[in-house]
Amino acid sequence: MLPSRSRLSVVLFLAPPLLLFGGGVLLPIIQSLVLSFFEWDGITRLEFVGLDNYRTLLRGDPVFWTSFANQLVYLAICLLLQVGGGLLVACLLLTILRGRETLKVLYLMPAVISTPAIALLFQRIYSFDPEGLVNTILSAVGLDSLARAWLSDVTTVLAAVSVPEGWRFLGLYTVILYAALLAVPRELEEAAALDGARAWQAFTRIRFPHIMPVFITTLIMATTYALRGFDVPFLLTNGGPGQASELVTTYMYKTAFTSGHYGYASTISVFIVLECLVAVGLILLVLRRKTD
Amino acid sequence: MSRDVTQRPRRRPTRPRARPTRLQISQVISRVLIIAVLVMQVYPFLWLLLTSLREREDFAASNPFSIPTTFTLENFSRALDQGELLRNIANSVVITAGSCLLLVVCAMTGAYAITVLGFRFSGLVRGLFLLGIVVPVQVALVPLFLDYSRIGLLDTHLAVMIPLAGFALPMALYLFLAFYRYIPRELYEAASLDGAGPYRIFLRITMPMSWNTVVTVVMVNAIFIWNDFVFANTFILSEELKTIPLGLQNYIGAMGNTDWTATFAAVSITVTPLLLMFLLLNRAMIYGLESGASKG
Repeated sequence: MLPSRSRLSVVLFLAPPLLLFGGGVLLPIIQSLVLSFFEWDGITRLEFVGLDNYRTLLRGDPVFWTSFANQLVYLAICLLLQVGGGLLVACLLLTILRGRETLKVLYLMPAVISTPAIALLFQRIYSFDPEGLVNTILSAVGLDSLARAWLSDVTTVLAAVSVPEGWRFLGLYTVILYAALLAVPRELEEAAALDGARAWQAFTRIRFPHIMPVFITTLIMATTYALRGFDVPFLLTNGGPGQASELVTTYMYKTAFTSGHYGYASTISVFIVLECLVAVGLILLVLRRKTD
Repeated sequence: MSRDVTQRPRRRPTRPRARPTRLQISQVISRVLIIAVLVMQVYPFLWLLLTSLREREDFAASNPFSIPTTFTLENFSRALDQGELLRNIANSVVITAGSCLLLVVCAMTGAYAITVLGFRFSGLVRGLFLLGIVVPVQVALVPLFLDYSRIGLLDTHLAVMIPLAGFALPMALYLFLAFYRYIPRELYEAASLDGAGPYRIFLRITMPMSWNTVVTVVMVNAIFIWNDFVFANTFILSEELKTIPLGLQNYIGAMGNTDWTATFAAVSITVTPLLLMFLLLNRAMIYGLESGASKG
């Protein structure tokens, strides 16, 4: 604590971040919460409906539940590619001696490309006519029968819109987990090797427990990002065909800005916040307890 | 199989010949996997660049994934003719610069007030900000849209800058908080004895020392802000204010008769500056990512 500080100086320094955070984040959250109890088309008067929106959401809206199930699949694919893939690639990087830094940078490259660019790229990669990259590879290895229009086929579209999101941030999680793995004390690993621990045991008993705090952080990051994942599906398919790739987030967006049901859309966005908080709570509960 | 590869302690020069065959096999496998991932991460981008340099007829007629035989820059001029790319780029520059400035100023002053000045409820304020890390941006879309249209801020650069900086603030504040803890107290005490007040100490000591953190925060966030789609798509309505992600969206819509080579040229134009900056300054960004997560 600075001895010469005055109350005014504290207020002055604290004002800009509080104004920005209050106006841009906190106030909208409160407004969403309030709006979720109203019915409003944006033009006529607000109409208080109590818990009606929540009742509709939980009981009478099959589209919402479809989109929620889709969001969980999207989450699973993203976690597998980002945290699972990131951990694997980080471990692989440790096995080589040269070029690690360069590889890290190259792995991060997709994270720099904007979503519409990625959507354009994948639209072309998935396309059936003209033949896209996926179908070209399939026919090259003799699996022509599997070739299809990946984005219009209801059985594949959800996975097809999830993969680009997982792919683009693989490098991000690799970089974070790699830094954590580097920080594992060499002595611990050497002691394990002397005790005759097999490579897999050394990983599960020594390295992984040691990077657990960072692993929890990356898991929380990846989970909350996937639960609010929006732009790739929105741009590639806009939830279609039908509701095959509709996510809670795209559904909320359409409810507000296409259908103009601002109250109900706020209810869905409150649900998204709760979903994130519950997910973070679960991760902490399960993994923290394990480490203790 | 890959499991075996992964856990070998790195660098084991003392026992290279202990189990030669197994070591070699696992090494080969890990290298193959590393290269496979490299191709996966880099190839789509190279393909994008190559396609933007191909002739339109060549791309349409032959296999689009083959190596082109002739190159042309004509796609780029068509791309510039078709869209509003230059205006989009200017808008993106304004919004990214504005958001980053807002973000850095707020994060710096906030961290200074919390760590250096200190006040009674500083722990509470800190917790309030950090809670923002898990808040999904979607929750702000509807209320901000309504608020903006009420106060006439809808369809302005500022409308996008406020939530972009606001949602990035918790993480940036966190990085500054972590860094300010390393500045020795003695420095502040000495300055105080010399009669420097809180403003002077901020300008003369804290701010000059935090440039590294500023670079890190800007690098990490500039990429996400530059690429923002959700806020820009919601709050910007008129053509003149559209950013690059919105401008590119115009190319997506026209399915069927899409001019792919020109589209990819447009994508290349928008991606290249950011990529060059990233390749030059990636150290700062990677440092930010690593320290941001490991201190969490």
